[in-house]
Amino acid sequence: MNSGKLSVASRREQNWGYFMVAPTIIGLIVLNVWPFIQTIYASFCEHLGFGHYKFIGLENYINMFQNNDFWKATGNTLLFCILTVPVGIFLSLLVAILLNARVKFKGGFRTIFFLPMVCAPAAVTMVWRWIFNSEYGILNQIFGIHVAWVTDPHVALLSCAIVAVWSAIGYDAVLLLSGLQNISKSYYEAASIDGAGKITQFFKITLPMISPTLFVTMIMRLMTSLKVYDLIYMMVEETNPALTSVQSLIYLFYRESFVAGSRGSGSAIAVWTVLIIGVATVFQFIGQKKWVNYEV
Amino acid sequence: MKKIYRITAIALSMLLMLSVAGCGASDGKVHLTFQIWDVYQRPGMQAMCDAYTAKHPDVVIEVQATSWNEYWTKLEAAAESNTLPDIFWMHTNQLLYYADFGMLADVTHLYDDIDPDYYENHFSEISRNNASGSDGNLYGVPKDKDNGHLVYNKEIFDAAGVEYPNDDWTWDDLVSASEKIYNATGKYGFMAYNDDQLGYWPFVYQAGGYILNDDRTAAGYTQPASVKGISFYVGMQDYDWCPTQTYFTETTPSTAFFSGVGAMYQEGNWNLPQLMENYPEMRGKWDIAKLPKCPDPLSGDGRATMSNGLCYSTGAHGKQLEVALDVIKFFGTEEAQRIQGEYGAAIPAYLGTEETWRSAFDAYDEKLNLDIIFEQFDYAVQAVYNSASPKWKSQVLDQLTKVYSGDQDLQTGLENMQTIVDTETAKKLADH
Repeated sequence: MNSGKLSVASRREQNWGYFMVAPTIIGLIVLNVWPFIQTIYASFCEHLGFGHYKFIGLENYINMFQNNDFWKATGNTLLFCILTVPVGIFLSLLVAILLNARVKFKGGFRTIFFLPMVCAPAAVTMVWRWIFNSEYGILNQIFGIHVAWVTDPHVALLSCAIVAVWSAIGYDAVLLLSGLQNISKSYYEAASIDGAGKITQFFKITLPMISPTLFVTMIMRLMTSLKVYDLIYMMVEETNPALTSVQSLIYLFYRESFVAGSRGSGSAIAVWTVLIIGVATVFQFIGQKKWVNYEV
Repeated sequence: MKKIYRITAIALSMLLMLSVAGCGASDGKVHLTFQIWDVYQRPGMQAMCDAYTAKHPDVVIEVQATSWNEYWTKLEAAAESNTLPDIFWMHTNQLLYYADFGMLADVTHLYDDIDPDYYENHFSEISRNNASGSDGNLYGVPKDKDNGHLVYNKEIFDAAGVEYPNDDWTWDDLVSASEKIYNATGKYGFMAYNDDQLGYWPFVYQAGGYILNDDRTAAGYTQPASVKGISFYVGMQDYDWCPTQTYFTETTPSTAFFSGVGAMYQEGNWNLPQLMENYPEMRGKWDIAKLPKCPDPLSGDGRATMSNGLCYSTGAHGKQLEVALDVIKFFGTEEAQRIQGEYGAAIPAYLGTEETWRSAFDAYDEKLNLDIIFEQFDYAVQAVYNSASPKWKSQVLDQLTKVYSGDQDLQTGLENMQTIVDTETAKKLADH
């Protein structure tokens, strides 16, 4: 397009367009892009205090890669994703399909499943901590077991994953439900005339048709899981002996930056996390070509 | 039609601007903000502000309370952007960090018109040290002082037929009482949890050791006396009568104590008023006692408790510095410190007004043995900190957590703690 050839009217229209998107773009630059550049710069600096930085080159990264807790946190984060994303998406899909079926009180069920999303994460984790309490918690009481859900280093991450999946199912299910409802009934009618059973119908019609929605849900879920912080922070305090087996990269970032006050090394962790998310997203976009179906 | 839309849009944006402008004060008064982290002390702080504004009707002070963790994140961000609250509490952990960066107003000569030796005459040495920067100048007006003591459940002691803790108790008595209680009632004895100020610190000083040396340039974690104190403290976890740290993660010692599961733990006096208020059914069933002493200290008489104190500070570049300084000057007077004490907010730092704090408990018929708190000040040790504290405090706690969870032995833990404190301190000293 050659803007020189535009008439006065359309040029004015173009200016109005820029004017209209300006708040968003400016907001994005001020709130996202500029801080990100600053974070990268800070990762090469030592924070002396109150916004004073001293350039120290790669030292933060060298220390970071030599730190056991850092590698542990990276492992924890990846493990957390493995625990939450596949299971979470599978359960959300199941819930979405059930809610899409002809059941009584459909609206009621939808509300119930969506409720965790409306609750404040702090409140959710508080309730779950009572459920998980090893002495008085309802979970151990019902099953007559004695598992230290939150303080046993081998179990604590699993407990966090359970809460994460539980909180996310409703939201993902609603997204998937909207995908399901876009599928025209005529496909299923045609399929049943051809003699396809329910299961064949699911794999040949439902799954391919909602694959775009499924893909979006998966990307979003993966990103949130990689960035998990508040949930683990609420579940596991700093004095918890299971801390190193649970803390995610962002939790470590928080402790470095705000508890220990080393914004420089904290920024290095943030940059590393962005790299991981970037790589994961690239892989997903490559993978989607193989299974996501955009034809209707 | 289009015109109407445009006019509406303009009118709306003007309205928006007006509402923003409305945030500024327009009543001709000086508005100050006063930031604190303890919601329980709010009434006392409010009463002090009211006393000030009664004399200065042209000043309005708003008391804002946030949680401890949020407080420091917020305050640092505010300091960076030069938007510090007009008046705020300062803690010994952070004071040097703020003062050394020139963030706090120097208040050394605040009272020169009244008495050039005002601070020396009215505040203890510990209180003055707690408010001093590395250069020896004062960066806050001393607010209060506190110390740690034993809390015990009289019912459990009676049930086990064990005598209540007294002034002459030693570590051995602590262990044998705990053992008897556990054997007789199945309840926990002394609940030793992973903490510094209300955990192992006093035990280190009782044994004659130290966490930081006198000029705060090096740690003393590997000193024989320090090792003795920490080994005793951490070692208590191996007894059946002491819950594990895993237990404390889910149930704090005070929760365990007030649900009648354990017989003793170490508490700070600043929590006592709210404990009395929050557990009405437990009133009269518990009391407080001095911390036990070390029976065979490597030096000293075996007695110690940690004493900390806060101070009132104001930013060095505040927009209303003059008024803010005048307010904190008032906060350091006998009148204001008395109000603080009478509201039970904290034990006032001002010498001679300490006992006003007793009135915090007037409302209850059940009495606590408050004398021991005032007596403990005679041998209290200043809470441990230096300018690198914010850097090493959580790292040291991490090391101890690893000792407790069995990931490393105490010896390695102590060596690591020593290295962490020494390196961070040296780094900080080199920066200045």
